[in-house]
Amino acid sequence: MTGDAAMGGGGVAHGAELIRFATAVLGDYEAELTAARTAVAHAIGFAALSDTAAVAALFNAIDRVADATGIPLEEEKAAATADFRSAIGIDDFAAASEKGASA
Amino acid sequence: MTEISYQNQPWPVREDVIAAQQRAWDRLGQAGTWLTGAERIAIATETRNAPACKFCQARKAALSPHAVEGSHDHTGQLSGLEVEQIHRIRTDPGRLSRSWYQGLCAGGMVEERYVETVGVIATIVAIDTFTRALGMAPWPLPAAVPGAPSRHRPVAAKRALAWVATLPPEDAVGTPDEDLYAGRSTVGHIYQAMSLVPAEVRGFFDLVTNQYLPPAAMRDFDNEYRAINHAQIELVAGRVSALNQCVY
Repeated sequence: MTGDAAMGGGGVAHGAELIRFATAVLGDYEAELTAARTAVAHAIGFAALSDTAAVAALFNAIDRVADATGIPLEEEKAAATADFRSAIGIDDFAAASEKGASA
Repeated sequence: MTEISYQNQPWPVREDVIAAQQRAWDRLGQAGTWLTGAERIAIATETRNAPACKFCQARKAALSPHAVEGSHDHTGQLSGLEVEQIHRIRTDPGRLSRSWYQGLCAGGMVEERYVETVGVIATIVAIDTFTRALGMAPWPLPAAVPGAPSRHRPVAAKRALAWVATLPPEDAVGTPDEDLYAGRSTVGHIYQAMSLVPAEVRGFFDLVTNQYLPPAAMRDFDNEYRAINHAQIELVAGRVSALNQCVY
């Protein structure tokens, strides 16, 4: 999810294509976005491409709502995710010390 | 009025997405709670301008945003504080900090305007990212509509949860904003994030419901609601959030 290993798709159907597309949507290279879009469309169809774009776009926005308002992670979520947050590098994010459950 | 239409695109877009985006687009130009329509459009314009700002690009590339000195390339329509807010949220949200926010407040930023601005930024990003993802140009911004902001501040909003004041769900009961959390006594923090300006919560979560999933569907793993399944949805959401370095 957080590094190059994410490009493998995480065991989700067509995960590799979805990861590539999500990465390209946030990236700066139009040629890569075009190629990634085509790959998703070929893999899972036009309707799925549209829905994937909608999710990627929405989370590009909602991330900013969370980060700009300083809401902390809920305590129950922090507890439930403690083991793998560190493993996949989330605890290394710049804001982790500020926006963890106790922030 | 800008009509949101994907008729000429090869990719079908669900009608509920189109309708939600149209509602959001129409709301952009109207007077809000603390901002006039003209101010909201100016904020939307500056949000679109921010990625091209050389100062923001240099800060984003630096190990710390504080390591770079300079000034923003901006449209000239907003104050320096507002430009700093918009540009940082748009270009480097993962490294925002309480001290940064407090610095804006010390400089005169009005908290209610700050929160409504977050809502405008989020609306623009949600829809502009969608059109870019599908290979389209962004929609023309709507015209500003004359009118006065409502200046409604929830009576029970307080600074306890986040950097900004929020309306706790248990305190919303019996107030004009009781509907904000649909009567629930506990809700996720993301629903409370912009609750100092309830109109922004209602508006943005209309987009959330239609571009992502309705609340009841989020954990209904027995049914699928989109052309991609729950696992695929969360994979995409997680990847985007990881790239944005969003801890929440």
